[in-house]
Amino acid sequence: MEKLSALMDSELDDHEARSELARLNERPETRRLWATYHVIGDAMRGEHLLSGRFNERLAHRLAQEPTVLAPQRRPAKKLITYALSAAASLSAVAMVAWVALSTGSVTTAPQARVAEAPALTQAKPARPQVVSLPSDGRLNEYILAHQGFSPSTAIQGVTPYIRSVAAQRPAKTR
Amino acid sequence: MKFVWPVVVLGLSTACPSFAAESYPKEGLDWLKKMASATNQLNYSGTFVYQQRGNSETSSIAHYVNAAGGVFAKLETLDGPAREVVRSNDQVTCYLPNTKTVLIEQRNSRYFPPAVLPERLDSIMDNYTVRIGENDRVAGYECQVIELVPKDNLRYGRRFCAEKDSGLPLAVRTFDERDEPVEAFAYTQLSIGGSFSREKVRSKYAEKSRSQKWRIDRSALSINDRPFETGWMVDNQPAGFKKLMEVQRSIGGRPGHVAQIVFSDGLAAVSVFVEPIPRERPAQALSHRGAVNIYTREVADHMITVLGEAPAATVMQIGDSLKRKTDAAIR
Repeated sequence: MEKLSALMDSELDDHEARSELARLNERPETRRLWATYHVIGDAMRGEHLLSGRFNERLAHRLAQEPTVLAPQRRPAKKLITYALSAAASLSAVAMVAWVALSTGSVTTAPQARVAEAPALTQAKPARPQVVSLPSDGRLNEYILAHQGFSPSTAIQGVTPYIRSVAAQRPAKTR
Repeated sequence: MKFVWPVVVLGLSTACPSFAAESYPKEGLDWLKKMASATNQLNYSGTFVYQQRGNSETSSIAHYVNAAGGVFAKLETLDGPAREVVRSNDQVTCYLPNTKTVLIEQRNSRYFPPAVLPERLDSIMDNYTVRIGENDRVAGYECQVIELVPKDNLRYGRRFCAEKDSGLPLAVRTFDERDEPVEAFAYTQLSIGGSFSREKVRSKYAEKSRSQKWRIDRSALSINDRPFETGWMVDNQPAGFKKLMEVQRSIGGRPGHVAQIVFSDGLAAVSVFVEPIPRERPAQALSHRGAVNIYTREVADHMITVLGEAPAATVMQIGDSLKRKTDAAIR
């Protein structure tokens, strides 16, 4: 318990802190104690208390967050985002996305996560929970090649062609 | 600029349901035809704002038809890096001065006439409810609101405002499945009329790009220039989408053949591009530009790029159900 309070006050060295955190991770009762200490500390400092079961709800919300499927700049081996959609069945459709850490030819075990798996809904194709990022302009020639075949271009005229000259800059600057 | 449409529609449907429930398919479709012909046959020039998911940019536009019926247009962005798009009949050229690049898209309208609306009006009726809205005013012109409300969530809704006399669409907004605006075009200044002169539709980079030898990425349909059997098929296309055409082409100046298959529900279109895997393998990814969603993946050692002005789920469904015809036959 002493160590726990020392950890809270950042008084442990790296090694001790790591082993204390590992213990915390293994023992639910120690974790509860850790939470209680923080609540006491917050109350003494007069800070706002988080509502009950905040941890659980946060963890739940995190698990529900959509998976980001974004175009990647890949100069070398980096984190690659893959997604696999199994949208074939009419009755039950599951969308599974995972992030795999690629290190050369060796791929570590993927961390799988089910984003959406509606059970027994009929006929409707499922909506995959995937987040899309702004195009950075590398696919402009495809937009250009598509535009002329679309009936909406026939109504709108040449204005939609503005889409195919998206500035060539990375998405993050937008 | 505000997106007031959902509010207006809601207001109407609660206030006087009998009126709001009524749609005017015939009149609505006439307006669509009128818009398509005005947009392609009139002379006009002005300034428009393009808004997409929090960004907006302003461009100038000039559109002229010459005595022989040739169609010429020029778009020039007024904010951010300078860019120009020039159309002369079947050729669309994009000038990108900051990367010294010219993109050229060439097609042959003898075999592939512009996706003319009247032929696809039946599909529009199957997939959208056409409504005549209120009168509005855009860029100083009175305009008529025409709404296309999707019958399911596989497509986006549209709200046009067409100039009362000519039918020229002055504002076009696209709404997603949750009725949130994803894209909007609107004129802020416009003059209808005027006469054709080559100067008005010539790029100011035309000479410079030649003399400075900018990189030219030429894309065109293949020499045979006619419908083609690419050997690929989509076996689970979203309801209401039909195959419009299938061609073989080049893209982005790269050597090698690229198959393009286009699906449409009468209003929106989704293109599938199939080509050999490039040296840098593509990651499976989803991105967007305004109402256009773009989905990239690999199938049987080919790179697949699927894009169109449709919800991401629709674009992905088409991409995920793409197969080689031979593979499909074995099953």
